[in-house]
Amino acid sequence: MRLVTALLAASLATPALADCPLDLGRGTGWVVFSGQYLMAFRPDPLRIEVGEPFALVVNVCTRSGDAAQLLAVDANMPEHRHGMNYRASLVSKGDGRFRAEGLLFHMPGRWEVTFDVAAGAESERLTHDIILK
Amino acid sequence: MRGLLLSLLFLVAVLTAGLIGVQAQTLLDWSPEEIRTIGHHGPWPPPPVRDPSNRVSGTAAGIALGRHLFEEPRLSGDGRMNCASCHQAGREWSDGLARGQGRTELDRRTPSLWNIGYLHWFGWDGAGDSLWAQSIRPLLDPREMNGGPTRAAELLRGDAALACGYEKAFGTKPGADDERLLVDTAKALAAFQATLVSPRTPFDDFRDALVAGNRETASRYPLAAQRGLRLFIGEANCNLCHLGPRFTSGEFGDIGIPFFVGPGMVDPGRLGGLQRLADSPFNLLGRYNDDATGDNTRRTRHVRRLHSNFGEFRVPGLRQVGRAGPFMHNGSLATLEDVVRHYSDVSPDRLHSDGTPLVRPLGLTVEQSGDLVAFLRSLDAQPPPRAAPAPLCP
Repeated sequence: MRLVTALLAASLATPALADCPLDLGRGTGWVVFSGQYLMAFRPDPLRIEVGEPFALVVNVCTRSGDAAQLLAVDANMPEHRHGMNYRASLVSKGDGRFRAEGLLFHMPGRWEVTFDVAAGAESERLTHDIILK
Repeated sequence: MRGLLLSLLFLVAVLTAGLIGVQAQTLLDWSPEEIRTIGHHGPWPPPPVRDPSNRVSGTAAGIALGRHLFEEPRLSGDGRMNCASCHQAGREWSDGLARGQGRTELDRRTPSLWNIGYLHWFGWDGAGDSLWAQSIRPLLDPREMNGGPTRAAELLRGDAALACGYEKAFGTKPGADDERLLVDTAKALAAFQATLVSPRTPFDDFRDALVAGNRETASRYPLAAQRGLRLFIGEANCNLCHLGPRFTSGEFGDIGIPFFVGPGMVDPGRLGGLQRLADSPFNLLGRYNDDATGDNTRRTRHVRRLHSNFGEFRVPGLRQVGRAGPFMHNGSLATLEDVVRHYSDVSPDRLHSDGTPLVRPLGLTVEQSGDLVAFLRSLDAQPPPRAAPAPLCP
């Protein structure tokens, strides 16, 4: 429901996004905005378990309609000053759709997930917090 | 007069028993959040585990062969040492020594095998990404069993009972490929070790009752253990690493234990383990992984080798912990009280420079230290007796 609301808000606020592939399917996920980029992502499997590998299905696009790329996905725990013990690998599925494999949160708490995105020579880091209990 | 005295004594006895009962059967005011957190440490036991990289994992014939091989001294170079020499059933599948004793004294403590089938990284440094790969190391290590690369194969081919057990487990007679038979020996050993699941404990009874809302049963759990548990999941943050039903993340940490193993010699811990993992022909990326899907290789493919891995060691599970000292990867702490004192007094200066601020001196009071120890001891239970193994091929 939250994703539907967010997607609706995004589509109303940015009419140029008609082609932006924010629909992840399965009716759930998160949407992250910046001045230039829009990104939607969801875990696979949907429920992230402490100590279990997971992937992120990521769709990214620009507000201007230019093609966007996902360069890297990582995560860290700011309170504990450490990152993941694993390095995610990326697979491009075309049209701004990506799959990041090999993530693993080895501790409960707040994880800050970072997404390095780019359109042309310009890159930007988007972040989103996931609280794992 | 005598009747009056007896009546008075009886009355005193009844009142005393009642008071003791009231004092001993108390339940802390656990919050819903605390109950949810405690619930994550169970239920116990978990379902049996099966390793898809090992085709005899979870099979009766594989387990039976593995149990016989576990006690087989002919796997060692001098015919005098077997797996059970160090992993002793009567010592919580460890040896009670500060450092393992092979053909020489080793640098690290012999880890307990309880619940080892549920791990994803094996050895104190995680150099093994499967239980069978880890089981190969002591077979070959010149400081341990020193069996050499062909001994297991010669034994499986030459001993009628073991050859029969092999055929039952793997479906073929032992072949000519020595390395393949070494791996299969380790896979049978792993199948057996994965059956070593620790018994239910007083903590499990408490956890189940608390989650079910059964206050009467939950209140039988000693107050000191309850206070220790509250510290464990609260102020002390122990459960950030010692999490889940096995009380471990299965990952690695630097907790300020010195890593010098001799003059000018250090144990690099996880940093060295990751290098050995990458160099091993027996890792899950190699040809001996029985899982054709490759799903079980995700950790191995994505694990990072970081400078901060230096001096990190695997977070051990805590079930049966009070019965399996000495403690830490190098056996440097003799008692549970010493372990709690370490966390209470640890100097931040002893932590690796890139170390996480998760470990900090807790500054526990004497009562708090006692409570933590009481909680840890509630994770212990007497294992049931084990029947002798049946013959492989009667």
